[in-house]
Amino acid sequence: MKIALSVFKECISTVFDAADQLLILDMDNTEAPRRSTARFSGKDPASRISDLAARGINVLICGAISRPMERSIASRGVIVHSFVRGPVEDVLAAYLGNRLSLEVFSLPGCRGRGSEATSCPRQSGRRRRPMGCRMRPPQPGEQD
Amino acid sequence: MKAGKAGPSGPVNRSDGQNIILDSIADGVFTVDRDWRITSFNRAAETITGVLRGEAVGQLCKDVLKADICEKNCCLRTTMKTGEPIINKKIRIIDARGRKFPVSISTALLRDAKGRLLGAVETFRDISVEEDLRKAIASKYSFEDILSRNRRLLQLFDILPDVAAGGSTVLIEGESGTGKELFARAIHNLSPRKKQPFVAVNCGALPDTLLESELFGYKAGAFTDAKKDKPGRFSLAENGTLFLDEIGELTMALQVKLLRVLQEKTYEPLGATKSVEHHVRIIAATNKNLEDLVRQGRFREDLYYRINVFLISLPPLRERMEDIPLLVDSFIRRFNALQKKDIEGVAADAMSVLMDYAWPGNIRELANVIERAFILCKSGLIEKKHLPESLWTAAAAPADSRGLSLREAQAAFLTDALRENGWNRLQTARRLGVHKSTLYRRIKALGIVLPDR
Repeated sequence: MKIALSVFKECISTVFDAADQLLILDMDNTEAPRRSTARFSGKDPASRISDLAARGINVLICGAISRPMERSIASRGVIVHSFVRGPVEDVLAAYLGNRLSLEVFSLPGCRGRGSEATSCPRQSGRRRRPMGCRMRPPQPGEQD
Repeated sequence: MKAGKAGPSGPVNRSDGQNIILDSIADGVFTVDRDWRITSFNRAAETITGVLRGEAVGQLCKDVLKADICEKNCCLRTTMKTGEPIINKKIRIIDARGRKFPVSISTALLRDAKGRLLGAVETFRDISVEEDLRKAIASKYSFEDILSRNRRLLQLFDILPDVAAGGSTVLIEGESGTGKELFARAIHNLSPRKKQPFVAVNCGALPDTLLESELFGYKAGAFTDAKKDKPGRFSLAENGTLFLDEIGELTMALQVKLLRVLQEKTYEPLGATKSVEHHVRIIAATNKNLEDLVRQGRFREDLYYRINVFLISLPPLRERMEDIPLLVDSFIRRFNALQKKDIEGVAADAMSVLMDYAWPGNIRELANVIERAFILCKSGLIEKKHLPESLWTAAAAPADSRGLSLREAQAAFLTDALRENGWNRLQTARRLGVHKSTLYRRIKALGIVLPDR
């Protein structure tokens, strides 16, 4: 089984439709998953689907994704875990430990995101700060 | 203005007065602190992004806005770095439900009374209606612009990228007004030929001789008044897509010529002595059943099989009634923008009429009905009285031969809608834009059995 995560630096890329890079894990290797990286050849659904198909991807873990793109990828039998956020290693561990549905791994407003016809269930209860994927604040001297 | 702190304890410390001011602004507005965490988030921002204020405050702005530029070309970062505001930059965001649409954003620095930097503010506005109009004018539709929840069409969307990627000839069948050209343009815009021309020809609109010169062009001297060469549509569509609409209207003589052009990938302009090679993708469309025409001897069998490499059958609107609320909403947004009106939607009784009508003219007829309603309806909701009387009478008429299938379609649509809303009738009624009692009546009338809750 091959798992692909769309990544930006050490985190899940926020928007899959604009993401460039994939981290691919080949889980068939029994000792340790073999890791590789790949770049998308284009941004349109057709080229993304063919890129995933060419690499034999079974599972895609990604951030926000547009409905047509998600539908097209899922129609190829790829299991899509969308609207996910967080550091790659944490997300991966959560996926392997069946904990990806935890609130901390969902983009705001997207927890338990159902079918497109239903409204997105709202988060309830304790609000948590996202995990450590932060943009670097401007440093002194960088501003006018 | 003081940047609030977010934490597990609850929303930001911000006075009600500030929230009231922010909420009164029609554009989405949010502020961030120097760590890019959202400190305030107004109501319009909630509507546009689909993220509630309580969920947004304290989060990184990129996780809430979900824009295509967030990671590499963040406007707030640029403003924070340079101090310069950014005004009306067009970007695309994905809302919490997976809808991708364009917004126009502006950014500026946020300083306190002493001029100390607190963070930045971003305002944004949904410009999908303007974008829709621009696309309508430029005919730059993509398959993301085709609105549907119909299973048949959703299955079609799944394979459309593959159909587009291949260079095969496509035949689109569908009744008049079902959106054949829209699909053809979407296929073209999704294909590797998207930067090349898309040329449309209506084969039924021109007499035979004129159509031949239109398609293949002519050389100077080919006939009287042919003073110089004129390129045909094949030449204009070179390396692109040629859309042959109403192909069932071609005469037998032109069918033979077209078959040869498709088989040999060459054509001869009128009066030319040499064949010209072409690299044109053909998408043909018809509102007739070509198989029937073949059986009647009115359409060449060999041409039929040549163009029918990949067949797309578009369902008539009466077989995708679940799309009516979606389409109506889209037309209302478009006409509101075009006519500078503020029609809010369709009243339950009017929606009921729209759902009961068989729509022989399909989506084009629905668009015309909404456009007509805009003339009569000045503001508020479109009501039954704003719809043509012919719709009420047709809807109220006793079931004819189509009645059963329409009823079945309505039952299937309602069952799907109920299922998608967890069999919650109140929520389903809200989603469909009808009153709950209307929904209850329909459930009873259509004999839909709800599961035990």
